[in-house]
Parts: sequence; structure tokens; C-alpha cells
Amino acid sequence: MTNEEGGRVTERQRRVHVDRVSEDLLRGEIVPEAVAEEAADYRWVYLWRWPLRITHWAAAITITLLVVTGFYIGKPYFMTGGEASSHFMMGWARFLHFAAAGLLVAAAIVRVYWLFAGKKYAKWTALFPVTRRDWINLFKMIKYYAMVSPERAPHYLGHNPLQQVSYALIYGVVLVQIITGFAMYGLSNPGGMIYGLFAWVGPLLGGWQTVRFVHHLITWIIVLFIPVHIYLSFRADVMDREGEMSSIFSGGRFVRSDVVYEDE
Amino acid sequence: MFFPTSHPWADGETLGEHLQQRGVDRREFLTFCGEIGAILGLSSLLTPKIAKALTQVQRPSVIWLQLQECTGCVESVLRTSEPTIGDLVLDLVSLDYQHTLMAAAGDAAEGALHDAIEKNRGSYVLLVTGSIPMNEGGIYTMIAGRTVKSILEEVAADAAAVIAVGACAHWGSVQAARPNPTGAVGVSSIVKDKPVVNIAGCPPIGDTVTATVVHFLTFGRVPALDYDGRPTFAYGKRIHDQCPRRAHFDAGQYTQVFDDEAARKGWCLYQVGCKGPACFSPCPIFQWNTRTSWPIGAGHPCIGCTERHFWDTMTPFYKRLPAVAGFGVERTADTIGAALAVGAAAGVATHAVATSIHRARHRKLPVAGQGQAPPAEPGPGAAPPSGKEE
Repeated sequence: MTNEEGGRVTERQRRVHVDRVSEDLLRGEIVPEAVAEEAADYRWVYLWRWPLRITHWAAAITITLLVVTGFYIGKPYFMTGGEASSHFMMGWARFLHFAAAGLLVAAAIVRVYWLFAGKKYAKWTALFPVTRRDWINLFKMIKYYAMVSPERAPHYLGHNPLQQVSYALIYGVVLVQIITGFAMYGLSNPGGMIYGLFAWVGPLLGGWQTVRFVHHLITWIIVLFIPVHIYLSFRADVMDREGEMSSIFSGGRFVRSDVVYEDE
Repeated sequence: MFFPTSHPWADGETLGEHLQQRGVDRREFLTFCGEIGAILGLSSLLTPKIAKALTQVQRPSVIWLQLQECTGCVESVLRTSEPTIGDLVLDLVSLDYQHTLMAAAGDAAEGALHDAIEKNRGSYVLLVTGSIPMNEGGIYTMIAGRTVKSILEEVAADAAAVIAVGACAHWGSVQAARPNPTGAVGVSSIVKDKPVVNIAGCPPIGDTVTATVVHFLTFGRVPALDYDGRPTFAYGKRIHDQCPRRAHFDAGQYTQVFDDEAARKGWCLYQVGCKGPACFSPCPIFQWNTRTSWPIGAGHPCIGCTERHFWDTMTPFYKRLPAVAGFGVERTADTIGAALAVGAAAGVATHAVATSIHRARHRKLPVAGQGQAPPAEPGPGAAPPSGKEE
């Protein structure tokens, strides 16, 4: 940095400059675009404690791995040449798939525990629109996203009713995916523990090919969920400027002091 | 009965004596007992027990009912290029009633059935091939003026063991495929008061039937069964896990079309629709036609014929996954899934564009240095982190 005369800036000059900019900021003469149009008061709320954040990112990583390896297992898109003894392509894909599945189940167990041990925003009640007001707000959220009434979204600290419904559904879908996946995994060792736990799935769905088919279809549902989830999270971050994206890393959000939150 | 012989198995004669009469020597017989023991997964130490039990068997009464079927299972079980002792045992025990093969006809045949039931009440083995039509009162298959349902109910009532041979007797097979016009069902849907052994397959391997009958004759009870009533000694493992082409599966080497280089090299048939990963069967081990070959050995993918509803769930036979109903012929899940994924991406992009247009119209963000923003009250600033959830 150089000063007006072109010389080097002293530490003292730098501090004065910073103070002046800060005063301008406070007077509202400079408002960086990153700050919303109104320099409202913000307060910090802590929403997601570490078990929830860890399970979220464990699920994000393992589901990505599961989708990539799963599509390979479903339709091998790489082939190897030469002797079979010198390759283990499908073997590794299946190993990664099963290892990731194990991690996902571990994360799911922690999440299910946290559904009961967690507080308000992570509790199982946060997955269902329980009150009448939540149901009304569910339709308000749909109208908001459908841009029917784009200005009037109900404000929630935790999950809004549309999130509640969609996360409950995606949890259910992942549960079916886990059950059908382990049912097929158990087939390689009939009489083993996993086979014993999940062998009922085949007859229930009418055959192992149907189990495979359901597993494959649900993969697509999860693949559809991911871009919508990421888009809406970034969108909320951009529209509300309340640190929605930050909350899944840091656990908390800065929210406006003047907004009334439905679930506070 | 099937081989013309001057030495029919007489009442009171044991199987051992009778086999000797038929020219089977002790060595051959023990070899047979060892083979059957191996198929059943028994220790070779038990071979003498099997031999002893079999030699002492009095002529058992077996009634073989053929219902709504194509007779293919009978062909598979009875016709081999060279008759083995196993066939002989089966032929011998199948004496009392087998309407395709027996010499008698009409009243004489039906009389033989009723005599067999009367004489051996509670001790005969019932083998069934073919399904039971239920629609319209079961009129789609009638024998001697009776529906096969009533015949099966009558004969099964006094049977010591019921063995359903083949996919038809197991669950209905092709007759029971959608839309199942005759309402065909398997034996276990009719016979509910005793365990039904399902020798699954379309057709099943003869050795499996022989081994099951030998197990019953030796131990006096049917072998251990899986969740679908199939003997675990034969149906306890997937084809996929016993397949000689498994190394190519694990390596990632697949036949893409039937006449490609990979097919000539004998690579895995997974991509041309092999249902081995979904099918429990002893085919790779027992093989067919006196252990000559089997479908995958001959370069054809498994169609999963030992599994329930395979005509509906394993089709298309040359595709990995079932077609999606309501989306036209053989529209795959991947085509639809990819279309939806593209649709979702397009929807997200459209929504993002709509959002930014809306923002540009209705929200004027201040730009640095222009001072358009309303002057804000210098507030107390952000509250310190509370550090706890509400």
C-alpha cells in the first residue's frame, strides 16, 4: 500500500485509514454489497451442534461416494483388459460402496440418537410440521418458492415446514436405501448375520431383482435431491443474508434482531 | 416300470436287494451314496449310514401328480443320456401313479391312484409338478373330470411329505406371469398344513430331486429349507457366488454383446442381463445333462428361473434391471432418472434466473461509496455468541 505522496504507508497511517473507513461504514456512507440494504442489528444463534454437523458431512461424503460407485456397480462404465487376475475394478468399487455404506449407517445411528438427544432444532419434532401454524406456513413456503408471493416467506431459525417435510422424506428414502442395500449385500453370505437380518426384504418386495430395481430408482431420487438442496441453501444465503451456508460449517447463524422467528 | 424288467420291485423286498437284482454292484451303489451325500453337504462319514438306510428301504410309495404344466420337469428328472442309479431310484420309487408314464389309462389309472392312497395312508411321498389354476372354480386343468385343486387337496391330505418339483409347482411359473389368466398358484398356496419342499427351477436339476428323495428315505424327514421352502443344500448359495466367471466380474471385464471379443474370451455376462446375482441355484456345481454344461458355461446369462415370479421380475432377460412400467417398452430406470436429473438441473437454473430477475426489480442493493442506503443507527452491534441452543 502506498500513501498519497507515493511513499510507504506507516503503521500509524494505516490505522487512521482503517478507522476512517470504519466510521464511513457506520455512518452508512459506504455499504459493502455483502451487507444487506439495512444495516440491521445482528445476533448470533447457535443451531447445529457438532453431532449434527458431523453426520451431515459424513452423509454428504458417503452419499457422493455411494452414488458414484453404485452407478458403476449398476452399469460398469469402465472395463479392464488382459488377465482377470491382474485387475480388481469391480471388487474395489464394491468394497468402497460397502465401506461407505457402513459409514453412512454409523452416521445414521448418530443422527437417530440425536433426534432424541438433540435440542429443539435437531429433534425429531423438527422433521414434522406439528402445529397448525406450521401447516399454514408450509403452503406459504410453497407459494414463496413458486414465486406466487415471493416477498412473504415465514422466517424460521431451524427447518422451515417445507424443509421439515422434505428432510423427513429424504431420511425415509435413505432408510429404504439402507435396508435394500444391506438385503442385497447379505445375499453373498446366506446364513450370515446381515442375511438373517434382511432376508425378509426379497420376498416382501417380490424378488431380488425388484429389490435391486428399487435400490436403483432411489439412487436417482437422491441424485435429484442433491442439486435442489444445494441450490436452495445457497439461495437462502443470498436472499436472506443470514449465514445459512455458514451454519452447517460453524453451527450458528447471524440473524436479524428485528425479525420474529416462527420457531424461536 | 420305465425300463422293461423281469425283476419288478416286489413288496417286502428292500432297495438293496432289488438293486442287486437289477445288476447294480455294491461298489457302484456306495459311489452313488457318496455322491448324494456330497450333494446334500454331508460328511463322507455318513455315506455308510446313507447306504445302510437305502438298502433297508422297503419299496416306498410315491405318487407323482402332474397338474397344469409342460412336462418339462418330468423330462429333466427322468431323461438323461445315460440312466444313473439316481434315475433308477427315482424311477423305482415313482411307481404308483405317474399319468404320463404309466401304462394304465382311464379308470385303471385312477384306480391305481386310489389304491396307493388307501394302502399307504400317511406314508407315501407326494411329488407334484405343475401349477393349480384357481380362476373360474379351477376348470382350466381337469383330470378325470375333477379339478386339479381337489385332486391335490385329497392326495396331499395323507402324504408323509410333499415335494413340489419345478417352478410351476413352486409358484405357478409362466402361467402365473402377469396377467395370470387362469389364476395359477403353486402347491404351497393349497397345501398349508405340512411343509412343502420346493425344488425350484424351470426345470430343476434332476439330482436335486433325487437327493431330496434320498434324504427323506435316509432320515425320514425333509432336508433343511430356506425362506421359500427350497432345500438349502442345493439353493443355499447364489449362482453369482459359485460362478466360474466371477473373476471377470471382480476384475471389471464384461461381455457387452453376444458376439464380441469379450464373449469369445468367456468374460462375465453381467452386462447382457445375467441374473446370477439374484438367483439361488446349484447350477454351477451340479450342472446339467449328466454334468455336461450349464447356461453360463455355454455363454448364456442366467435367467433366474429358481426365483419366484422370475417371468415378471427377471425380464427383460438380457437387461440388468426390469423395465419401468408405464414408460413404454423397455424404458430403463437410467433413461428416466437421467431425464429427471437434467430436468431438476434445468428447474434449478430457471428458478435461479427467476430469483435474480425478481431481486433486480424489487431489491435495490446499495453500492459501495454511493451512499444510497438509509443511514443506520449505530447499534450495539452483534450480540455476543450465546453458545447454547434455544
